[in-house]
Amino acid sequence: MRILVVEDEQALRESLVAQLKGASFNVDAAGDGEEGLYAGREYPIDLAIVDLGLPKLSGIEMIRKLRTEGRAFPILILTARDRWQDKVEGLQSGADDYLVKPFHFQELLARVQALLRRAGGWSQPVLQCGDVSLDTRSQIVTVAGQAVELTSFEYRILEFLMLRAGEVISKAELTERLYEQDFERDSNVIEVFVGRLRKKLDPDGTRQPIETLRGRGYRLALARGETSPADARA
Amino acid sequence: MTSLNRRLLTSVLLLLLIFFGITVVALDLLFRDLSERSLRESLDAQLIAVIAASEPDARGNVVPVGTLREARLMQPGSGLYAEIGTRRGETLWRSPSALGTDIEFGSAVAPGARRYERRELVDGSQVMALSSGIAWEIEAGRSRDFVFSVATDLRTYNAQLQRYRGQLLGWFLGIAILLLVALAVLLRWVLRPVRRIEAEIREIENGSRESLGLALPRELMGLAANLNALLASERRRLERYRNTLGNLAHSLKTPLAVMRATSATADPAARQRIVDEQVDRMDSIVQHQLKRAAATGASVVGQSAVDVQPILAELRAPLLKVYASKDLLIELDAAADARFAGDRGDLFEMLGNLLDNACKWCRGRVRVRVRARRFVDASGRTRLSIVVEDDGAGIAAHDRQRILARGARADEAVPGQGLGLAMVAEVVQLYEGTLDIGESPLGGARIEIDLPAR
Repeated sequence: MRILVVEDEQALRESLVAQLKGASFNVDAAGDGEEGLYAGREYPIDLAIVDLGLPKLSGIEMIRKLRTEGRAFPILILTARDRWQDKVEGLQSGADDYLVKPFHFQELLARVQALLRRAGGWSQPVLQCGDVSLDTRSQIVTVAGQAVELTSFEYRILEFLMLRAGEVISKAELTERLYEQDFERDSNVIEVFVGRLRKKLDPDGTRQPIETLRGRGYRLALARGETSPADARA
Repeated sequence: MTSLNRRLLTSVLLLLLIFFGITVVALDLLFRDLSERSLRESLDAQLIAVIAASEPDARGNVVPVGTLREARLMQPGSGLYAEIGTRRGETLWRSPSALGTDIEFGSAVAPGARRYERRELVDGSQVMALSSGIAWEIEAGRSRDFVFSVATDLRTYNAQLQRYRGQLLGWFLGIAILLLVALAVLLRWVLRPVRRIEAEIREIENGSRESLGLALPRELMGLAANLNALLASERRRLERYRNTLGNLAHSLKTPLAVMRATSATADPAARQRIVDEQVDRMDSIVQHQLKRAAATGASVVGQSAVDVQPILAELRAPLLKVYASKDLLIELDAAADARFAGDRGDLFEMLGNLLDNACKWCRGRVRVRVRARRFVDASGRTRLSIVVEDDGAGIAAHDRQRILARGARADEAVPGQGLGLAMVAEVVQLYEGTLDIGESPLGGARIEIDLPAR
């Protein structure tokens, strides 16, 4: 998942970028509204975290511009102002959620994950496709109730595929969203990781959870299912 | 802007000059007309007297017979003159009074005609002359034309006119001055309350006075009452700012002290935990005090009515977005005439907190009902009733008091449930309203607040 952080306070921006990377996100950072607008336009962003008080172009203006240009990725606002009028203004400009500074990173992470799930059409934190279950909070993956050990990158691929279960995702898109920007794109790394993931999810090779559509990309072929209400606590 | 006093006096002076000027000119014209008419009438009478006293003599000329009754005609230089002449201009008779004067009466006047004219004599005196042509029947069937003339000196007339004018002007000038003086005195008296307010405001400025006295004319009572309300609300606001600042500074001291003490602790893990805790605490203190300070509160002056409906509508879409995962149903039922008498930002804050709380704790349904109620009591006040309900777990009876009291001391405030509600309760209090926590028929909490309406 590729996240754009637009924050002018350098210490906060760097800490956010480091912590988000630690939570296995691919992160772009911008220090002012214009840079943020550029990144939001040019990169395949999955979610943006935007501070409202930005130099050059205010956060609200930036969000408005992105929205009028049809960028639909979820946007989380960070603001020091917690008057309702400010919150409403931010949300009306096109943002999807807000977080008042100062905040705990865990709270930010929970909001980010909830927004990403919502964008993929999931309302619960535990994603269930067929017998594969992925908990976005604990990053635990189980197949038919049995825990499966995944590396960080394998997890990221699976999470991305599951969030958009049923959609065909090209190898290029997967590369762009999961790798750092300057990564060697035409390598076969993705194929290698998808291959390993297949072995772990389906050791017998009987169910083929990840389909390869020649020349088009990958698709998670398992049927989406919402988790049981017992897990339902956002 | 110049003083009211001077404005009024100048304009009244101008008006007086215009009206008195017109009156003086009119009266003068009228008087001159009247006195000239009476002068002519007296000339007519003199002429008739001369005609009546005249008889034709042996040569067929008409001349006065014997002494004339008017003594002034007999007295030289008396100012009244008479002459009888022919139509051709020869003089037949002149009154003895005309001796020594060069008085000339005009040429022929046709029988039956009359002519009044002003003439100037050599000595500079003016006369008014009347000449009348008369056909006198001397014998049966034979008549001759004569011109009878009388003239009177205008000195008396002019003197009278002059005196009259002098008196007229004198009176009017006197009246005008009297009026202006009276007006100036009146103005001083009328404007005395305004000057008193001015003086009292100066006293308030230098601190020797708290509010304006209200022993004022009815027209100024409203002004003074509003000024007093403004002063009081400013004082309250200042007080609140001062308290907030004091509270903020003091309540931050405890966590600071804890952290300072912690820096001596050896165990880095324990230190980290304590610093985290104290930062959270400081954050909630700052948040709480900021919100408190931002609330405007009830002030009588300068607040228009705020429509409740549009604010609810404005809050609904963002809340639905934030709580999108809950698939909420927010029912709004606000009367169109529900208007809040207070600050828009305060209402926004209260409604935002109430709705946010309801959305956070509900299972899926939030209901808002807003009504304006007119009280039947003597005050006739209108109150606003806002009810926010949800279908969540509700607030246990023993928690209700605690939640509302939580805002009382900022350093005890813990973020989470109830902080928003405590904040609402505080703003409600600023408006001298009430907040009730109860149970909703939907199953969850039912919060009702009562606020001033307009």
